[in-house]
Amino acid sequence: MNFNNVKLIFVREMRDQLRDRRTLFLIAVLPLLLYPILGMSFFQLAQFMRHSAAKVVVVGAEELDGLDWLPELIDGEQFSPALFNSIDERKSLQLVVGAGQEEAQAALKSGDVQVVVYFPVGFKELLQEVRQSLLKRAEETKSLEATSLPTPQILFISSNEKSRIAQLRVERVMRTWRTEVMQTNLRDSNVPLNAAKPFDLRPLDVAEEHQRSAAVWSKILPFILFVWALTGAFYPAVDLCAGEKERGTLETLLVSPAQRREIVWGKLLTVMTFSIVTALLNLGSMGLTANFVLAQFKDIGGIAGQSALSLPPLSAIVWMPIALIPISALFSALCLACAAFARSTKEGQYYLMPLLLVIMPLMMLPLSPGVELNLGNSLIPVTGVVLLLRSVIEGQLLQAAYFVVPVFGVTLICCLLAIRWAEEQFNSESVLFRESERLDLGRWLVHLVRDRTETPTFAQGFFCVVLILVIQFFVKLAMSAAAGNGIDYAFFRQAIFISQVVCIAFPTIILTLLFTRSPWKTLLLNRLPTWQMLAAGTFLAVFLRPLGMEFTQLIERLYPASEEMLVQMKAMGNAINEVPSWGMLMLLMAVLPAVCEELAFRGFVLSGLRHIGHKWWAIGFSAIAFGIVHPMLQQQIGAAAVGVALGYLAIQTGNLLPCMVFHAIYNGIALSLGNFVEEDGGAVNSQYAWLFSNGEMTIFQPWVLAISAVGAIFVLRWLHRLPYQHTKEEQLQEARDRQFTGA
Amino acid sequence: MIEVRSLTKSYADLRRGTFVALDRLSFSARAGEVYGLLGPNGAGKTTALRILSTVLQPTSGSAIVNGFDCVTQPALVRHHIGFISANTAVYDRMTAWEMVEYFGRLYGMEKEPLRDRMESLFDRLQMQDIRDLLGAKMSTGMKQKVSIARAIVHDPPVLIFDEATSGLDVLVARALLDAVAELRDQGKCVVFSTHIMREAERLCDRVAIVHQGRMLAEGTLEELFETYGHTDLEDLFFDLIQKQGEKMAVVDNQ
Repeated sequence: MNFNNVKLIFVREMRDQLRDRRTLFLIAVLPLLLYPILGMSFFQLAQFMRHSAAKVVVVGAEELDGLDWLPELIDGEQFSPALFNSIDERKSLQLVVGAGQEEAQAALKSGDVQVVVYFPVGFKELLQEVRQSLLKRAEETKSLEATSLPTPQILFISSNEKSRIAQLRVERVMRTWRTEVMQTNLRDSNVPLNAAKPFDLRPLDVAEEHQRSAAVWSKILPFILFVWALTGAFYPAVDLCAGEKERGTLETLLVSPAQRREIVWGKLLTVMTFSIVTALLNLGSMGLTANFVLAQFKDIGGIAGQSALSLPPLSAIVWMPIALIPISALFSALCLACAAFARSTKEGQYYLMPLLLVIMPLMMLPLSPGVELNLGNSLIPVTGVVLLLRSVIEGQLLQAAYFVVPVFGVTLICCLLAIRWAEEQFNSESVLFRESERLDLGRWLVHLVRDRTETPTFAQGFFCVVLILVIQFFVKLAMSAAAGNGIDYAFFRQAIFISQVVCIAFPTIILTLLFTRSPWKTLLLNRLPTWQMLAAGTFLAVFLRPLGMEFTQLIERLYPASEEMLVQMKAMGNAINEVPSWGMLMLLMAVLPAVCEELAFRGFVLSGLRHIGHKWWAIGFSAIAFGIVHPMLQQQIGAAAVGVALGYLAIQTGNLLPCMVFHAIYNGIALSLGNFVEEDGGAVNSQYAWLFSNGEMTIFQPWVLAISAVGAIFVLRWLHRLPYQHTKEEQLQEARDRQFTGA
Repeated sequence: MIEVRSLTKSYADLRRGTFVALDRLSFSARAGEVYGLLGPNGAGKTTALRILSTVLQPTSGSAIVNGFDCVTQPALVRHHIGFISANTAVYDRMTAWEMVEYFGRLYGMEKEPLRDRMESLFDRLQMQDIRDLLGAKMSTGMKQKVSIARAIVHDPPVLIFDEATSGLDVLVARALLDAVAELRDQGKCVVFSTHIMREAERLCDRVAIVHQGRMLAEGTLEELFETYGHTDLEDLFFDLIQKQGEKMAVVDNQ
């Protein structure tokens, strides 16, 4: 890649965007105006909320007359001033007295009135009875029993916001009044007021001011920041790709010596710059406005909560721009790929919605209560970054540090995939010179089968992975329903068979027969392997197993499995113990997965993915796919790592059998080790114990690991020297990579 | 300079299975000549020239430009050609000077030599008065000039003009033809595709008549007139295409 060209393209695109009035307005001017205007209207609204009085109809107010001891509830057209803390609050409830019940309800339904307070007939008598029973409690034991309580009703309409707010206010007034009635009764019957309130309760928030504001801001800020990062990336991306196609300048650029990769990077940097600047400008402008609006809200009791928010803490201001960079890169690459796929700006705009639909839930997920930063969440793109950012804003730096690697690892992988995808779009003739074509699903399906290629296409390989995941999902649903009454051997055997054969091998074979002209070649079974290849598979498995176990241990130490997972694993372990013979165990857990999973992931999927033109990309993709289909997170990471070795083995030998041998032996060793450990107490009673440095036979002696590493390197070097068969795309890519050095 | 051998390009077509846009096309063009690709719309001229400019890849066959392979050495090929077509527009929000400078830099030219080269180009193409005019404000003729300057700023040995005169008025088209002739006189190898006979007659040293992706005839004008017994290129063109149509109809019937 020529960085001069990237810089040239970046500078040109930036200048081009800055000369576009619409873009400038959207990116720079709009945020500066938008929030003050929004803030102003909010302020207006707040004024309105303060002064708009709710109408309350009191039905049966006569029930309050004639009791001289009763504290006053109604004073003219308002509630009694003694029931409020401030005059404003009192003014907010306007009373109408003297209406009939039906009339009042009709008014409530029509929206003329917000709340109806209804004192039923006999309220007065009941109230008097309650008081009397208290006063005469010494004379009559009967009065100590509970009498039925007088129950006035507060009628409101919950679907009407205004009615709901008024109801809350009225309820507060009525509660205060009830307390006053109670206190009068107690006082008159010579009971200390504390009798009805033996103790007081006072919650005390020991969080410091900055912690409180951090907790609130850590939820709001990442969300807003990233929404703007996405918006800021999208429009320039559409203009830079689809717009250029539309204006006819893209072909001008494509016939220049700039390589596709340089073009993509130049454009990506431009989009990223706009994404970051938009997000920061919006945040800054919003922060200033929010500060102003929140100050106003402080005066309106009962709406903004007890304490108004202060400005976001300094840590947020420092960390946000840092987290913004990877997220902007990811969003920019995604937007660029979508935009490159679009034929016109109009088509490009259509892709915003699906993109938002995918990304929004990922950004919303951390907002839901109880979602915390753990290994599972950290591996979810976008969500991981949001959670990580939240942790650092809250000041939990140590906890965050644990997850920096997975979060940024996943983000980086996603970024690279999106960039690669965008590059593919720029290389794809059908995308660059796409003509409008009528969609004809039937013809298209016929075309897929009729004009099938020798080995599957990249898209078909990808589709196979998706299909396996979908089938797995439904099978899992069905099986978890069936597994309600525990896992026994019969169920376990059936489950393994279904998850391997039905979920993985069956769809693979069907797709191979449907979409390829050379099924044997696709599945790398068109020739017999040499004995050296089989030996290489065997030795590589033996050497990598100890290292693999060490890696799994490391992952489990760093990110311990959840309780739920441990229960699952225990149930699985019990089921394995129930398997009648070692041979059967090997068949179910080593040989069957070796055959089925290899057919799918190193067979069909890898054959398809290799059309991308670079073997390491294909190996990486297939390894990730192989990881994802495993049930538990800790397993997934381990499996993806093994997937890389298996992919390399498949490509270098051009044969699936060594991979099956590797896979069977690799699984087999782990299962056999489990058999050596005595069940009671886990004491080692085995001739192989000297290989291990702990009693549970899970940690190998350091020298075992060292020998394994050396052995694995030796085998890999041997594989490296094999003359592997390039695909047409790989040959082309290599020739193109050589064009400058060769000429 | 240009060697095209059995160039074939086919697309997957939902209805017909495959659609052959270019069917084993072979030709060669030398330095100092204008090679004309003559054919009706949809004949495959643009496909062939897009393969030469490396934005499309052939299904089979080879194309060598100035010694570099269009498939395996696309970046080197692009370094050695200038490509102008009706589809290569100029940037709206860039001035003439900026646009030519941008491409000059992409071609790897250093700042100083680039400026000298641009000054002389702008003089020669009479572009000094539109130097600071934005692309959006330019007339079609001005844009065409900028396109030519953009394509020849790095002084490539090979120039490809794909229907470059379509949509131009007579004056601008004439200026473009003059520019092409001048480039030939400088010893450049020029491939010029058109469906306008007059342009081919005026300009081309050798002509290939292409129809439905196939080459029907090739040679200098004199050779073609002699072989097919015509004295007018347009008549000859119609004649060949008609015969080809009849031939295809016979094949279809069989």
